[in-house]
Amino acid sequence: MNKLFATIKKEILILSRDKAGLAMLFIMPVFLVLVMTLLQDSTFKQLDEKQLPVLIINHDADTFGLRILECMKSSKFFKITEIGNIGKQDLIQKIEKGDYLIGIFINENATKQIRQSIQVKIQGQFPDEVGQLFEYEDSLPGQARVEIFFDPILKSSYKQSILGSLKHFSAMVEARLMFDIYSGLFKDLLDIELRPAGNFDDIVHFDEKYASGGTNQIIPNSVQHNVPAWTIFAMFFIVIPLASNIIKERHSGVSARLLTIAGSKLTSNLGKGVTYFIVGFIQAILMLLIGFFILPLFGLPSLQIGGNVLALFVVTIAVVMAATTYGIAIGNIATTEQQSSIFGSISVVILAAIGGVWVPTFMMSDLMLDLSKTSPLNWGLNAYYDILLRNSGLIDLLPGIALLLGFSFVCMFLSFLYSKRGLN
Amino acid sequence: MGEKAIIEINKLVKHYKNADADAVDSMSLRIGQGEIYGLLGPNGAGKTTTISMLCGLLRPDSGDIIIDGLNLKTSADKIKSLIGVVPQDIAIYEELTAKENLGFFGKMYGLKNAEIKNISNSLLMRFRLGEKAGQRAKTFSGGMKRRLNLIAGIMHSPKILFLDEPTVGIDVQSKNVILEFLKEIKESGTTIVYTSHIMEEAEKLCSRISIMDRGKEIASGTPKDLLEKNTDCKNLEDIFLKLTGRKLRE
Ligand SMILES: Nc1ncnc2c1ncn2[C@@H]1O[C@H](COP(=O)(O)OP(=O)(O)OP(=O)(O)O)[C@@H](O)[C@H]1O
Ligand SMILES: [Mg+2]
Repeated sequence: MNKLFATIKKEILILSRDKAGLAMLFIMPVFLVLVMTLLQDSTFKQLDEKQLPVLIINHDADTFGLRILECMKSSKFFKITEIGNIGKQDLIQKIEKGDYLIGIFINENATKQIRQSIQVKIQGQFPDEVGQLFEYEDSLPGQARVEIFFDPILKSSYKQSILGSLKHFSAMVEARLMFDIYSGLFKDLLDIELRPAGNFDDIVHFDEKYASGGTNQIIPNSVQHNVPAWTIFAMFFIVIPLASNIIKERHSGVSARLLTIAGSKLTSNLGKGVTYFIVGFIQAILMLLIGFFILPLFGLPSLQIGGNVLALFVVTIAVVMAATTYGIAIGNIATTEQQSSIFGSISVVILAAIGGVWVPTFMMSDLMLDLSKTSPLNWGLNAYYDILLRNSGLIDLLPGIALLLGFSFVCMFLSFLYSKRGLN
Repeated sequence: MGEKAIIEINKLVKHYKNADADAVDSMSLRIGQGEIYGLLGPNGAGKTTTISMLCGLLRPDSGDIIIDGLNLKTSADKIKSLIGVVPQDIAIYEELTAKENLGFFGKMYGLKNAEIKNISNSLLMRFRLGEKAGQRAKTFSGGMKRRLNLIAGIMHSPKILFLDEPTVGIDVQSKNVILEFLKEIKESGTTIVYTSHIMEEAEKLCSRISIMDRGKEIASGTPKDLLEKNTDCKNLEDIFLKLTGRKLRE
């Protein structure tokens, strides 16, 4: 135990004198989290609140056209522009030019066509003896038509979302029309005056909740993404001072000297691990504090960590373990300090990019999304998302934690293999 | 050699990967308790390789090493607790002060805080590093680093001490302090294995010597024996040159 403390003390002394290493471990991440959170704040806001520009050409100045227009306008997802009677070609042109992402063309007489379709269906319900209930306009056969034009760059999720909204609004109008027609029938056939029907919106209430541990893509805000992302990035930058520390010790011959002192090599390795482990924890706490207290000073929302502090603690342990053992592995495998710094920093930056630290995974294409799952930084980031956004418990986090620990064991095994190299 | 052997090596062989010849080629030695044993030879003779195998840093290809009755193959940890090593290459933390270095190594040897404090103070004074004790090793001159390197290997008063060219690059004043110190600890029973290519030093210090060349022992005995056997030579250096040849080494 004495030896372990002596080693930790020594490592802390050495690290405290390594100005570049300290800057890399503490100043760089603080700077990155501030800059990136501010920089990405508006992007995240847009993603969250951005209203899709939609152009609507309505040629149906009747219930259907007017209601759809009204509903679309009241939706917070769309920014509706309505232009009076221009043709379909003009609409297509405007979308091609990029003025609007979506164009909706509601054809003439849509309401009448809907009404007639409903009437035909109702007529079919009555026995033949009742006779003709409605007068049809022969000039209006077929279905009502709404045409939708998309800008090709539009993501399919947005297409689905607007189609969904339109179908929903349309169903509401159809129901209203059906009610009207039945009301007419009640009056005509039974002489009962029905009161106007109320709102149809609230028959079924949809309660939105996030399923924990699911694969659903959730969109964090800038703070919720950047604080955990750069914390993980910073923790993985432990790799550089740690690996160069190991190589320095090997080159200076101290490592060999320790091998000639009974039982000191193991303690020395353990002490290094513990020291950098502590460093990783301090980084995590520092970043949390920035999320809580500093970012709000810049007008950003304060970091919310949810209620699961234990889960946060365990995930942090797993991430620091992965980072520390990765550093130890590089320190043992690389032959020169230069090699280790270059490989260490490049590999961490690449793993960070792949893992969704720089650009969050929900903005990635499907291919990159699959690739992102190979990065240990992504495992950590996802686990943090789970805690911060999905309020997941430890059980849900187990797969991510297991991956991180598995990565640690592979690193430790490689370190062990390579550390034997000098002995032959 | 009258005393019982504390170090015994038998037909030790070491071949480095990719090397043409064996670095150590069937070396056998018996070193008695309390001796200062000199391992002499030109550059590349295999001195460091031999020492590295003796202190458990390198695994021999074949041969046996018995130290204090223990086989190195099976009791490496026990043997390590008996020895002290002063490596040829300076092995200290450049970022730490002299005191901090000794504090750390002292703990590794299992010394107590008070012991570490007393011993480091007295050794630092003795080896003329007292004034620099609080300065980082990277600010030291080559000779100062070498003296700190020495203290780090002897501070726990080991029963057996391996010294690999401890006096290289050290001024005369400090060299004498070191040689005096070694004689002193020899008197208190420490066994010392000492490599050098400075014959004069070995002649003064060593009870017995082996001259190595190309991994093999080519002569051994007390300095006096060797001089008597080679009557054409007036000192060890002559013998050394006669045996190892005047050609330059790698
Ligand atoms: N790590 C190594 N890999 C390959 N060959 C080595 C290695 N270390 C030493 N050698 C070779 O082994 C031989 C013996 O080297 P060693 O260092 O034991 O010599 P030495 O007697 O200590 O020399 P010096 O007086 O220069 O310190 C030399 O030929 C050297 O080139
Ligand atoms: Mg040597």
